[in-house]
Amino acid sequence: MFKHQINQFAHIETTCGLLLDELQKIWDEVGEPEVNRNTMLLEIEQKCLELYRRKVDVAKKCRAQLQQEIAESEAELADICSAMGEQPLHFDWKPDGGLSKELDIVISQLEDMRKLKINRKNQFVEVLQQIQNISNEFRGDTEDNLYKVVLDETDLSMRRLEELRKQLLELQNQKRNRLKQVSNHLNTLNSVCSVLGMEFRHIAGEIHSTLNDSKGTKDISNHTIEKLAAAVQSLREVKIQRMQRLQNLASALLEMWNLMDTPMEEQQMFQNVTSNIAASEPEITETNMLSVNFLNNVEAEVSRLEQLKSSKMKELVMKKRLELEQICSQTHMVTEALSVMESSVEAMKSGAVDPMYLLEEIELQIANVKEEALCRKEILEKVEKWLAACQEESWLEEYNRDDNRYNGGRGAHLTLKRAEKGRALVNKIPAMVEVLTSKTKAWEEQSQTEFLYDGGRLLFMLEQYSMLRQEKEQEMQRQRDQKRIQGQLIAKQEALFGSKPSPSKSGKKASRTPTGVAGNRKVSLGGAMLQNLKPEKAASRLQPSKSISEDPGHSAEKYSSGSGKAHKNKSPLIRKPLSPVSSQVLSKANIDNFLEDQKMTYTASLQKALSSTELSLVGTPSKPIAVGYEESRTPKTMPIPEPTTPPTVSVPMTTARTPATPRLALCIENNNNNQPTEYSFEEVRAGFILPKT
Amino acid sequence: MTAVPPPAPGRELANPPSDGISNLRFSNHSDHLLVSSWDKSVRLYDASANALRGEFMHGGPVLDCCFHDDSSGFSASADNTVRRLVFSSNKEDILGRHDAPVRCVEYSYAAGQLITGSWDKTLKCWDPRGASGQDRTLVGTYPQPERVYSLSLVGNRLVVATAGRHVNVYDLRNMSQPEQRRESSLKYQTRCVRCYPNGTGYALSSVEGRVAMEFFDLSEASQAKKYAFKCHRKSEAGRDIVYPVNAIAFHPVYGTFATGGCDGYVNVWDGNNKKRLYQYSKYPTSIAALSFSRDGRLLAVASSYTFEEGEKPHEPDAIYVRSVNEIEVKPKPKVYPNPPA
Repeated sequence: MFKHQINQFAHIETTCGLLLDELQKIWDEVGEPEVNRNTMLLEIEQKCLELYRRKVDVAKKCRAQLQQEIAESEAELADICSAMGEQPLHFDWKPDGGLSKELDIVISQLEDMRKLKINRKNQFVEVLQQIQNISNEFRGDTEDNLYKVVLDETDLSMRRLEELRKQLLELQNQKRNRLKQVSNHLNTLNSVCSVLGMEFRHIAGEIHSTLNDSKGTKDISNHTIEKLAAAVQSLREVKIQRMQRLQNLASALLEMWNLMDTPMEEQQMFQNVTSNIAASEPEITETNMLSVNFLNNVEAEVSRLEQLKSSKMKELVMKKRLELEQICSQTHMVTEALSVMESSVEAMKSGAVDPMYLLEEIELQIANVKEEALCRKEILEKVEKWLAACQEESWLEEYNRDDNRYNGGRGAHLTLKRAEKGRALVNKIPAMVEVLTSKTKAWEEQSQTEFLYDGGRLLFMLEQYSMLRQEKEQEMQRQRDQKRIQGQLIAKQEALFGSKPSPSKSGKKASRTPTGVAGNRKVSLGGAMLQNLKPEKAASRLQPSKSISEDPGHSAEKYSSGSGKAHKNKSPLIRKPLSPVSSQVLSKANIDNFLEDQKMTYTASLQKALSSTELSLVGTPSKPIAVGYEESRTPKTMPIPEPTTPPTVSVPMTTARTPATPRLALCIENNNNNQPTEYSFEEVRAGFILPKT
Repeated sequence: MTAVPPPAPGRELANPPSDGISNLRFSNHSDHLLVSSWDKSVRLYDASANALRGEFMHGGPVLDCCFHDDSSGFSASADNTVRRLVFSSNKEDILGRHDAPVRCVEYSYAAGQLITGSWDKTLKCWDPRGASGQDRTLVGTYPQPERVYSLSLVGNRLVVATAGRHVNVYDLRNMSQPEQRRESSLKYQTRCVRCYPNGTGYALSSVEGRVAMEFFDLSEASQAKKYAFKCHRKSEAGRDIVYPVNAIAFHPVYGTFATGGCDGYVNVWDGNNKKRLYQYSKYPTSIAALSFSRDGRLLAVASSYTFEEGEKPHEPDAIYVRSVNEIEVKPKPKVYPNPPA
């Protein structure tokens, strides 16, 4: 081809030469002057030159243009490369294809790069768009356009993209976190609201309208989150406040329940309240647990209980006071506290004194009295026994004064038995008094106070009793002397006027007359019963404690003697017991005397002496015993050496005894006696008595 | 009988209670001894070291006590309370209450429950693991025909002896009603009941110097084995003086048992061969309680007046711990080579 072009050029040159030759020839023929010929030729040469020059200019321009294009493209390429952070291509080598070829290559490269760049740019835009979106979400709608992420065209490197991506990722994480945070807040809000009994949707909606929609996307702007947190915080504070209130109420409830023994069913209703008494804030999750309504309910209950308490408290105070009084009367103590209590109870009724305080006081008082009663117990038991004996003694006196006591009326044998038993008992009184006196003295020494019995000093009572006894003793002595004189008188008379019917026979006969008729002091049974109701009661009260603590040695007699029924039948004849007011005691010496006297009379043939004794007996009024309340009574006489049924053996142990030991006898006796309950040693020791059902 | 010259009564523990001893028990794990007393205290002794390890004061006399494990125990008090005693901290709390003094207390390892019997005529079961407060710990209340005087446990069996000579046998797994209702075969008030360690029956003592050996199995063959024997008596001038039998304690290894009476004697018996194995020399006053240690090497004896004759001057209350020779408690296999019952 190239050859062909050279050939063409050669051809063109030959053609030019030929044409010149032809022109020479023509000119020769024409005979053109030489000058013309030269001008003509110069013109041709100039025209040719000009043409060439023009062509060269065009070609130059074209080359420059190409070069410029290439440079521009290369610059752009370099720009793009640098923007994209890629190694720029170097164009040190010149392709053989000339500039246009080079341009082609550069342009195609540029084209590629541009495509790449656009792709990259799209990526950036996409990422930036997302960042923008998220940021906007964070910032909230209001400041939507203030922040715009601008694409920096100069830096589209992968590194930057990565950075942006990282940033995006971070933002996405942040968004997730925020979402989580919001939903957490909402959950808390929801639970707190439910506990507080508030409308959750309403509260959530107030913060942001998107929040009360359970399905839709939630607003996560800073502002919303702040408001949410604030709402949660404030509600939590409300919750804590209410919780404290509830717990205060609960403790009040518990206190009241304890105080008043509120039944379980009533407590059950508020069990959920009291179960939360020690709960911390997050532990209270029950719906409506802290709602205003519920709190008001609980409060109402508390105030109801409070009212109940104040009314019950008064009741309780009265009850306790009664208990105190009862204990005092049971143990024959007079407490000055009682009277004080009286006044303070009055004060309580009028509201001047706090019943709570009063209750405490009474309880303290009760404890004191109980303690005192415990240390008095031993002596008291002995006193009861002694008083019972005194009562029996007075009955016996009365009985002995009954001239017709041996008349065989209905039930006479029972009276007889009682009398027999009574005499045995009376014989033991002096010993009892002795023991009692020494015990009481010991007690008084130990406790440094006087032993008071129903307000009176026991020692004084005992003293009085022994004095009276002494008087009786003297009285008896006088009677005996009188009797002797009388006997001598009768003997004298007999010697003078002959004998009389045997007194012993007459005694026996007299017994056959009906009981109701004879006797100046026979009283109708019913009337007497009424009269003696009170002492009888007192006596029966003593019974149980007596039989428990009874010494086995004594119980043998009890065994052999009359039944409880006999006791009761005869009670109308009992003189009012000496017991409650004053009693008298014999000194030891007197006891001995007295016993001896009795023995003496026993040994004498009593039956025979009977009629004469009767004579003297009726005639001699004795001094009235024991002042005070006995005034309505006819004067008493001493128990005279009256005939007894032959003094049957009262030897303890051997006869009435089962082979069991004394220890055992205790329990077994308790078993067999009219008292059906058995007690173990421990129960006896603890003073445990089975409550009567 | 195998009367050997009387040895010393054993080592007397220092710091005994100041009033009547109501019960004493060895621990199942150590030689610690728990002692309840009328002086309102429960004391914990280390019997081998002869040292007082703890003391718990109560609101009233303490009528019974028992171990839970080596770190805690329980007590039954006349102030109607059932208490838990924690030895390490020397603290106590009230597990619950009866309506009357609580007479006896037993802890069942099988049921994990505490059983108390009271003079309010009820039996109560408690779960000591429950938090404090009666309603949490109380498992059940079971009415009894009379006041409860003595309790004994073996495995899931519970024997309850009450006043009026009633004996109820329960299965702890079904406390709704007694498995058996019996009457004591002795004529007089029951003092003490204790189950055989092998779980086949129980021994029951009365105030009238007698002990009955009973069997749970109601078959004729088993019931034919039961019997009663007299003990703790004294013949004086042709008359028998009879003393209450206050305490029975079974030997944990040999199944023989010791009885203690108000006569101040401790006798050891072989129930199978119907023989008395040993009689220890007389103690100063009534034997109120007995307990063998877990290995049966030691026997704790409470010599303490039990108020059988009411208030009276008496010997001081004392606790003796004596070591037990095998010869004193090992059954003599003679005629019947039976396993010990």
